[in-house]
Amino acid sequence: MRMIGVDVGGTFTDLVYCDMETGALAIHKVSTTPDDPSRAILQGVAELCEQAGVAPGSVDYLLHGTTTATNAVLEHKGARTGMVTNQGFRDIVHIARHQRVEHYSIMQELPWQNRPLAPRRHRKVVRGRLAPPKGEVLEPLNEEDVIAAARELKAEGVEAVAVCFLFSYLNPAHEDEARRILQRELPGVFVTTSSSVSPQFREFERFTTASLCAFVGPKMRTYVGKLDASLREAGFSADLRIMTSNGGVATPAMVAEKPVMTLLSGLAAGVLGGAWIGTLSDRRKLITFDIGGTSADIGIVVDGRYAETDPRSTSIAGFPLLLPMIDIHTIGAGGGSIAYVDAGGAFRVGPRSAGAAPGPAADGRGGAQPTVTDANVVLGRLDKDDFLGGSMKLDAEAATRVIDDLAGRLGLTRQEAAEGVLTVINSNMANAIRSRTVQKGLDPREFALVAFGGAGPLHGAEVANMLGIPEVVVPPYPGITSAMGLLTTDLKYDTIRTQFQVSGKIDLVRLNADLTAMERQLGQQFAADHLDAASFHFVRDGDLRYVGQGYELKIPIPAGELTELSLVEIWRLFHEAHKREYGHAFAQNPIEIVNVRVTGVGAMPKIANLKAPEGGSFAAARTRVGQCVFRIDGALKSFETTFYRRALLPVGKIFPGPAIVLQMDSTTVIPPRWAAINDAAGNLILSFDGDAR
Amino acid sequence: MTEGSNLPVQPATRVDPITGAVIQGALENIAIEMGHKLMRMSYSSIIRESEDFGAALTDAEGRQLCECKMSTPLQSGPIPGYVRGVRERFAARGDVFRPGDVIIHNDPYGGASHGPDVAFLVPAFDGETLIGFSVTTAHHLDIGAHTPGSCGIVDAVDAYAEGLQFKALKIVDQGRPNDMLWHMIRDNIRISDLVVGDMEAQIRAAEIGANRFLELVRHYSRDTVTGASEDLMDYSERLMRAAIRDIPDGVYKAETFIDGFLDDPDPSRRDLKIAVTITVKGDELEVDLTGTAPQVPDRPINMPFEGTVDCAIWLTLRSILLDSVVYGPIPQNSGLTRPIKITAPKGCLANPIFPAPVIARFCPGNALADAVMKALAPAAAEHISAGIGNLTVIAFSGVVNDQQWVHMEILEGSYGGRHGLDGMDTVDTLYANTRNNPIEDIESHLPLRIMRYELREDMAAAGEWRGGVGSVREFVYLTDGGFSVEGDGHKYKPWGFDGGADGAPSALVQATAAGERIELPSKVPYRKAKAGDRLIAYGPSGGGYGPPLKRAPQAVLDNVLDGLISAELAREQYGVVISGNAVDEAATKALRTGRRASK
Repeated sequence: MRMIGVDVGGTFTDLVYCDMETGALAIHKVSTTPDDPSRAILQGVAELCEQAGVAPGSVDYLLHGTTTATNAVLEHKGARTGMVTNQGFRDIVHIARHQRVEHYSIMQELPWQNRPLAPRRHRKVVRGRLAPPKGEVLEPLNEEDVIAAARELKAEGVEAVAVCFLFSYLNPAHEDEARRILQRELPGVFVTTSSSVSPQFREFERFTTASLCAFVGPKMRTYVGKLDASLREAGFSADLRIMTSNGGVATPAMVAEKPVMTLLSGLAAGVLGGAWIGTLSDRRKLITFDIGGTSADIGIVVDGRYAETDPRSTSIAGFPLLLPMIDIHTIGAGGGSIAYVDAGGAFRVGPRSAGAAPGPAADGRGGAQPTVTDANVVLGRLDKDDFLGGSMKLDAEAATRVIDDLAGRLGLTRQEAAEGVLTVINSNMANAIRSRTVQKGLDPREFALVAFGGAGPLHGAEVANMLGIPEVVVPPYPGITSAMGLLTTDLKYDTIRTQFQVSGKIDLVRLNADLTAMERQLGQQFAADHLDAASFHFVRDGDLRYVGQGYELKIPIPAGELTELSLVEIWRLFHEAHKREYGHAFAQNPIEIVNVRVTGVGAMPKIANLKAPEGGSFAAARTRVGQCVFRIDGALKSFETTFYRRALLPVGKIFPGPAIVLQMDSTTVIPPRWAAINDAAGNLILSFDGDAR
Repeated sequence: MTEGSNLPVQPATRVDPITGAVIQGALENIAIEMGHKLMRMSYSSIIRESEDFGAALTDAEGRQLCECKMSTPLQSGPIPGYVRGVRERFAARGDVFRPGDVIIHNDPYGGASHGPDVAFLVPAFDGETLIGFSVTTAHHLDIGAHTPGSCGIVDAVDAYAEGLQFKALKIVDQGRPNDMLWHMIRDNIRISDLVVGDMEAQIRAAEIGANRFLELVRHYSRDTVTGASEDLMDYSERLMRAAIRDIPDGVYKAETFIDGFLDDPDPSRRDLKIAVTITVKGDELEVDLTGTAPQVPDRPINMPFEGTVDCAIWLTLRSILLDSVVYGPIPQNSGLTRPIKITAPKGCLANPIFPAPVIARFCPGNALADAVMKALAPAAAEHISAGIGNLTVIAFSGVVNDQQWVHMEILEGSYGGRHGLDGMDTVDTLYANTRNNPIEDIESHLPLRIMRYELREDMAAAGEWRGGVGSVREFVYLTDGGFSVEGDGHKYKPWGFDGGADGAPSALVQATAAGERIELPSKVPYRKAKAGDRLIAYGPSGGGYGPPLKRAPQAVLDNVLDGLISAELAREQYGVVISGNAVDEAATKALRTGRRASK
């Protein structure tokens, strides 16, 4: 089995090839072609196959992480989108939750009003109304109204339509009927329904999710279709699979129907890659820590299970997105983050970034503001002559100049200022990790930090220090860990149904019927993807809360027929989870099952263990000894620091910090009191000397 | 010469700037965690959906160190006042804070915003030393007033009629819950399971804040954290002073009116004036409310000077002078308010004398905030909006299967037009920033149905930048019940600015199942509703900004195509002629030229 992973980023398209049988691996990087990302992909995969010495036609799967839908939303360049909704409710997506984005601002804009996905002129209302608790029909759907709406939308030239009715999550009949009429009246137009995209309550959020789906629909459908066709033309017969926000992949047909699934897929691959890397070294509790030039992305993985966002906290470009997502906490902290003294005189680092152009001063492309990278250069941690495998020289003088200027404004020495930049950015990152661990009842001291991306290994150990994390794992190829993550996942399709059932009064017949129906629906989907029954399975969860609460916790639900006994166990797990998450449980209070979820998981072949590193010797690996500055017991001190070339390090031999490990796509810092070992899986494991802490 | 040489310089600080930045991040993170947990643990929709809660840390003297960015300004803003009120009460009684204490407080004459906004204070101790307070506030659904719910109690005749008064009571005393006090609360508050659940969530969240604050102090030492906090306050103060300095010295005045009780035969309860005089001198600013109507001694629309009036003013000034979209996030702490002095004569609407009732102070307070913006408008024309539409709060209630239910809904207003931007439609305004409840949540849990929720058409105030538009929302009772209402702005229109048209007032109608249509005033004490009765709320539209004839014809066309205004109104108000789906350029030019000439 041969697979290729292609991760399209803003600047580079990363590619990785793996032969599952032999463990052979090849990696490649090409510049992204933003106007049509498929050009870089085609070029990249062709070159990668050549490099690996395999015929394009012999590759079985091509797994693809794409930001096409994401960018369409971020740049507000989607389809001309219409909506068909209930009479009396034309403006649900405009009124939103009637809350301003900013508390303290008169001049703010509201994304849903200033940049509507479906402008009011294209929002049409029709008669027909459903009601809770079961989606009873209060007023039948008026088909003439739908036909009239369709004709207006046609005249207005809309390219996509979202059908959004109140309570459709309880009964999709009206939405389905309206969709049928619209598809008939508007051939070629992308039509979706809110109940098919995300059948759960909260109308503003669901209607907006459906609008997002319509907004990106035509573009994604075209993109996926075109990519698939071009690959065939280029001699590939591989099955194309697209990364989705829930950490799985989907078929092109699925993505063409529900393109909204891919909206946050760009980041998901990083968490998967980090998780896989940690598992290779047998670590079960992981914090994935992916730092590039402008941002740090943080994910939590426990025993192979990814933390997911609660459905009320996910958004893109200010629009809420009601879909299962891997919880990825992104903050504006990376190598290009700018350090400055603000108008009130406070010292800040990020979220403003020098980006790729002009970049840090050390890049020598005219950057004149001090950045995190410049601080690393001044402290001696980045080797000016040996950066990115020597392919790029760093301008140490420019870095020193901008840090000196900052030091002058702060009234600090050069080294204090440089180290201060790192302390502030590291503490921002540590706070971000705290918000996903300590604040959710997880103790970071039980975790390993998987540090990757170009800058993750530079900061990993010091951030770990701030949190008491004892161990940092640095993957063999930190720069393409995300692309590798693409090769580690399964087909993953989610379904959800709102229940609003309360403990003590649970209608088990309905609950079981719903779960069975959801599994049947997923089974049909997998059958359509040509999967046999042995190669897929289901995972059930419930969104539960104490009656009256507004936020739910996700609790596993056992497989098979649910009984009173299984409910007892579910309640117990909920009380426990509540106590863990919030520090308190209300044991006597009734519990409400708000939603049930079933995820269908269809097995995909996965990347095998990497080839064990060949290993060298410290003598061979050592490039030089230099002076690096670290803060120890509150004071700055310069240390003699050994620089090693990673590929030549011996396997299974511990070496002490301070040390710097150089490689093509990243630099790893091992501070004083830390030690490192190149393990059999090819990971560099950094660990803190417990006695010294 | 490097690019940086003109950039700001770090002023002298108590703590080095790097540690300062790290401690700032840590403090903000603590406040976020408190709010996050409170929101998720709480039971009633007023906290978890509307987000009508606050969370903050103060130092031992009650100076605010940080606040939770998810909380609503009118809840976090008063927290230093609550702490001051509790400390004064303790000092007067000779009480002492001890480790393990939790204090409940809601005294509007002792720093609280009003009775339903109950604070829980957890004093944080490092050993035996008091180092600060961790405080959560939240609006509770019921506080034991004479009619159901905690809003629309518009006929309370004095502070005692507003419900339970908690004046700095230890609800937990050195770790031991005061069970008798809890029993009393349960016995005197409707739907007490919900309210007590919310109170417990508040206590848990405040305890988490206190623990985190202690960890921070232990990690960095008390002097360092205190020093960094004082640096942060100085920092916020510097920014505020610099912003005030940018306003030309002078005296700026404005007056506005609130409805009061429009159906009351007593004229002293209607058409009440709010007068604002702002004096800017150098980097200091004084807001004087002299000229504001006298307090209404027996109706609860008086505004606590501390907790409502001060917060309304601080928030408005901050939103104009240090707009977060322009200036980025600025730490919300007590330093921001140092350059601002507020005065109001004792016994006026904005500085009432106990026991004058205050529970329905929400709408007058927001009108006061709007008057502050109106006063400052000529001096800060590019940073203000024209007049805002005020909010309305309704408490719905009833009994189903012997179970009492109470639901609070805050009905949004809208903003006036702004320099270069139309007004925001259908949002909470100025010192309020809560969220509505999903229709699908309301109908799934309450005997109510929503029949309509959309923008009002042909209501946008004309202007070069039009005013924001209000909503229309229609509720139907599925079983017999009742409601009470506190709102304002049925009579007085939001002000237009610089040639923009005035906005539109709000209105409320009860359409009975029997077919009667009753126009209600903006304040309605508890009133019954029958199954099938409809309550229709028409929201206000904010004022227009700038002359309508200067509005870009394309923007007018967009509004017509979107159905916000008719083609007739486009011609009448804007002098824009629309033919088919396009602007008739020639006809528009001719019409506008003629209009200008005839002026």
